[in-house]
Amino acid sequence: MPIRVQLDRVLFERRMSLTELADRVGVTIANLSILKTGKARAVRFSTLAALCRELECQPGDLLAYEAGPSDEPEDEP
Amino acid sequence: MRRAGRAAGAALTAEGRFMRALGPGSVSSFLKIILDVVYGALWIGVVAVSLLVLAALLFSFNPSLLDDVSLSSAQLASRWPAMTGGLFAAALYMAGVLLIVGRLRRIFMTLTAGDPFHPDNVGRLRLIGAILAALELGRYAFWGIGAWLLTGVDKARPTFSLTAWFSVLVVFVLAEVFREGARLRREAELTI
Repeated sequence: MPIRVQLDRVLFERRMSLTELADRVGVTIANLSILKTGKARAVRFSTLAALCRELECQPGDLLAYEAGPSDEPEDEP
Repeated sequence: MRRAGRAAGAALTAEGRFMRALGPGSVSSFLKIILDVVYGALWIGVVAVSLLVLAALLFSFNPSLLDDVSLSSAQLASRWPAMTGGLFAAALYMAGVLLIVGRLRRIFMTLTAGDPFHPDNVGRLRLIGAILAALELGRYAFWGIGAWLLTGVDKARPTFSLTAWFSVLVVFVLAEVFREGARLRREAELTI
């Protein structure tokens, strides 16, 4: 996925734990972990807005584009 | 006025009850009962036909076992191979239908579990389509072999069933719809 999630960095800068962010945003830790590790396929605007609100940042602070091969999953047979 | 409103409310309630997708009283629960009954009946049928095939094979090897029957041993000896073949074809047909109903029941299980677009359902639907096509081809083969081996059968030629092939097409199209549904499901799972 050429979109990289920089949640780790923003969390470190804010000195905030994933658990605390999950409580504030209302998203499960498991889902935030998926987002943090870059396994997420998509992010809802509402989730992004809640993350930006709690982390006091812009979407651009959380997401970055890196040119590279797309790793779209193969369709199941 | 109040009575009319109450009647409309009852109709809405009744409609809501009948339009439920899952749970008791829903269309799916009704279909599930039908599938379960058909599945049970098919198993009984397959077992019965298999026993008849075994009996026919046994008697075709030794027609004298049926000396008590009014037909002569010679008549029986000439008819048993055809009867055995017919029963064998019937057993194969029922086994095919049994496989279809079995896969339909598994698809239904995923529906009642609230996960109808499970990736496995794509393969199940494709298998159902393939079995339907095989059953239809088997019907032509059965009649072709029968007309070749037996005299008098050529008068009853099998008709080309457009409905059967249309059903195969519908099932394969549905399989593709489910494949896309499974893909969307996978995406939704990883949407935060």
